[in-house]
Amino acid sequence: MAALNRGRAGGEVSPPNPWDPLVRFSHWFLAAAIVANALLNKEGGTWHIWIGWAAIAVLAIRIIWGVVGPYEARFSAFPPSLRAARRHVGALFWGRAQEYPSHNPAGALMVYALWGLMAVTLATGLVMTGAKGPMTIASEKAAVAAGDWSVLVKESDGHDGEHDDDDEIAEEIHEAASNLILFLALLHLGGVLIESKLLRRNLIRPMLWRRNT
Amino acid sequence: MTTPRPTARSRHQPALLAGFMLAQGVAAIFFIADAVDDLMAAPPGLHVLAEALVAAVLVVGIGVVGWQLRLTLEEMRRQEQALDTARGDFLRVVEEQFTTWDLTPAEKDVGLMALKGADVAEIAEARGAAQGTVRAQLTRIYAKAGVSGRAQFAAWFVEDLLD
Repeated sequence: MAALNRGRAGGEVSPPNPWDPLVRFSHWFLAAAIVANALLNKEGGTWHIWIGWAAIAVLAIRIIWGVVGPYEARFSAFPPSLRAARRHVGALFWGRAQEYPSHNPAGALMVYALWGLMAVTLATGLVMTGAKGPMTIASEKAAVAAGDWSVLVKESDGHDGEHDDDDEIAEEIHEAASNLILFLALLHLGGVLIESKLLRRNLIRPMLWRRNT
Repeated sequence: MTTPRPTARSRHQPALLAGFMLAQGVAAIFFIADAVDDLMAAPPGLHVLAEALVAAVLVVGIGVVGWQLRLTLEEMRRQEQALDTARGDFLRVVEEQFTTWDLTPAEKDVGLMALKGADVAEIAEARGAAQGTVRAQLTRIYAKAGVSGRAQFAAWFVEDLLD
């Protein structure tokens, strides 16, 4: 009875379709923030700093959601495991890929790597700006533009040689981590496309919106 | 042949909550950053206290919205499962009744599509059969079920639900 099987088969394991809205929104917000801050806006500019602060908030909420959210958004649903990830990629190319209730093991590793690198990038960004809020920085810039350079003097007074070294190290890490993020993001995109093709299932749409019925 | 779906309003509610939650988070982080700046720059005055209070309220608000979002998502999942169960139960009842009537597999398939509201042309197309064949199958189904036609055939399964 072909007609009977058209509905959802009961008890079948598959990732959520669609993902819960908080997962979706935070995913695309962080993706947009990475593209904007790594490729589009001026390094260290006002926009760069505003977006960085907003990304701190979104990443923090997503991580808290990983503890208190619904099942498939929780860390416990996609534990990091190198062995499982290798097994999954192998199975994928042998055409025997298994379905998982949340991120597959390879995707899970990517999630943790990206989150970790984002945290590093955001933290070093805070070190570089002295953890000053974007509003403080904006008003300082406005003061300098208006001819009041006292904020700059105060700043260079507060910096001894050691501090400058710290800033330099933070900057190096900031750049290395953000380049690594871009590289992993490309790898992530490639992985999603390849797996979509091999599983003959669109993995992108559940991250976008509910299927139309 | 559509299945009932939650209304547009309830479908969009989680998305609204999630969007609101993230917007609140972004707003809160700016207030927190500003409050920390001010706290480090000057002894805490009324202004800073007010800012810290706003930040705290925003953070509590995020928690409340997050809790609401989780409850809404869980409720939607429960409803979907209940709907699935009901659908499965109904299909089982139909299947058993078809077997009781001694329908052949082909007749069962046609009968189910007829129950779902497909007309002869649609059933013929879906099964790749001639319309005449489908019409003959429907006639045999009605005869085996002892009903006069499609309306009575459908009513046979609905009447138990409408006590």
